[in-house]
Amino acid sequence: MSPPRPLPPRTRVVVLALLAAIGATQVACVTVRPSERQVLSRPEMDPAKDADEEVWHSHVESAREGAFGGHGAAGGGCGCG
Amino acid sequence: MRLRLTPRRPTFARLALAGLCAGGLALGPRPLTAADRMTIRGNYYREASTRILAPEVILTKDLPDERFTLGAGYMLDAVSSASIAAGAAAVTGGDRVFTEMRHQSTVSAASKLGDNRLAAFFRYSTESDYRSRVGGFAYARDVLQRSGTVSASYSLNYDRVYWIRANIRDLRRWTSTGDDNLLQLHYLNLGYAHALHRTLLGGVNVEAIFAFGPQDNPYRKVLNGLDESHPLKRQRLAPSVYLRWAIPKAHLVIEPRYRYYADDWGIRAHAIDTRFHFRVFRHLLLRLRYRYYTQSAAFFWRDDGVYLPEEVYRTADPKMSAFHSHTPGGQIAFELDPVATRVPALHFLRGASIEATYNHVFQTTRFGDARLGAIAFSMPF
Repeated sequence: MSPPRPLPPRTRVVVLALLAAIGATQVACVTVRPSERQVLSRPEMDPAKDADEEVWHSHVESAREGAFGGHGAAGGGCGCG
Repeated sequence: MRLRLTPRRPTFARLALAGLCAGGLALGPRPLTAADRMTIRGNYYREASTRILAPEVILTKDLPDERFTLGAGYMLDAVSSASIAAGAAAVTGGDRVFTEMRHQSTVSAASKLGDNRLAAFFRYSTESDYRSRVGGFAYARDVLQRSGTVSASYSLNYDRVYWIRANIRDLRRWTSTGDDNLLQLHYLNLGYAHALHRTLLGGVNVEAIFAFGPQDNPYRKVLNGLDESHPLKRQRLAPSVYLRWAIPKAHLVIEPRYRYYADDWGIRAHAIDTRFHFRVFRHLLLRLRYRYYTQSAAFFWRDDGVYLPEEVYRTADPKMSAFHSHTPGGQIAFELDPVATRVPALHFLRGASIEATYNHVFQTTRFGDARLGAIAFSMPF
């Protein structure tokens, strides 16, 4: 049985960055109290606010780029909407 | 008159499936922003030889409240091109401006019950040589005392691909190297967003697409005249992360995003998108944006565009090549509440807003630089 191949350096960086980001959100299980959510409830903090524009950008990017995605912010996310 | 044979055309139809899906929850139901609201958008795209005008109208109505919301939308995609694409001259007669219309209708339903939100949608899109049916659903749940939101969405495209051989009445099924003109596309999006701090929101998304069916352009040929031929199967994965960090004293929100992309056609891509939202005045928002995108080439891409007849996969699609792009952009948005307050006759504009967006894409493909803009008006009713 051959040993597993190491990941290419660039892929390794990407995987580590994603793990760090996921870790950051998971470790941060501290809840922000409702009384502290004034700033989070502002329109510019709401990912769903730009949903229509995201669809259009996604439409164009998919037509001109080999990749897709990155426009799927789930909206809300803080229970402050 | 249809625009058909530009090398760019099929992207806006065929690959819109991916793009539309990439909107995730925004795809149809917008379950998280339920309200009685009408939005009118005028989308615009222009590059060296292609222009797209895409007006759309979106309506959402609570019946009677956010526990049940219905939505409907219509978009017209008018694509004009002045280019002679490979193979186009035989059908179109040469270098003329062609305009093709794509009609897209969407209906959706959403429900918010406590911490749970559920939505479903159906979309039908039609143009002269392409029919698309998309259905999907989305679920989101607030967790950890509403500090976080877990979300999942799934959609299925069931598309039929045709090609026009000599004229619009001579419509043939396009099967590529397969035996059916059906393109099926499964899209899945899993996401989690969390309020990390009273001024910081973060989130991760993982999107995946499995596509099977003809995914090449029936009209496009490679440099030495052979038909384009892409693999019938494609598996795609796009994890992404984002933050929204508010700096209240500066009336500023900084929004960095990063998306990685990989597929089994050999394309790897990175996209970094950073936005700065300034609240210049109480009702005036300014947003500046910069996006950097880079990708590697598909395994069957040839820089010289020349293929041997025995090579199964061939492409002349610029987006299969290695390239990068820079996109600076700006948006200005005005909330119309002051107008509604000061002018009694315009009180119905309370809660309404108007916005204008412009982005300029500097890219190294043969598509050339592009301009991307939109004007939108949204009001409650």
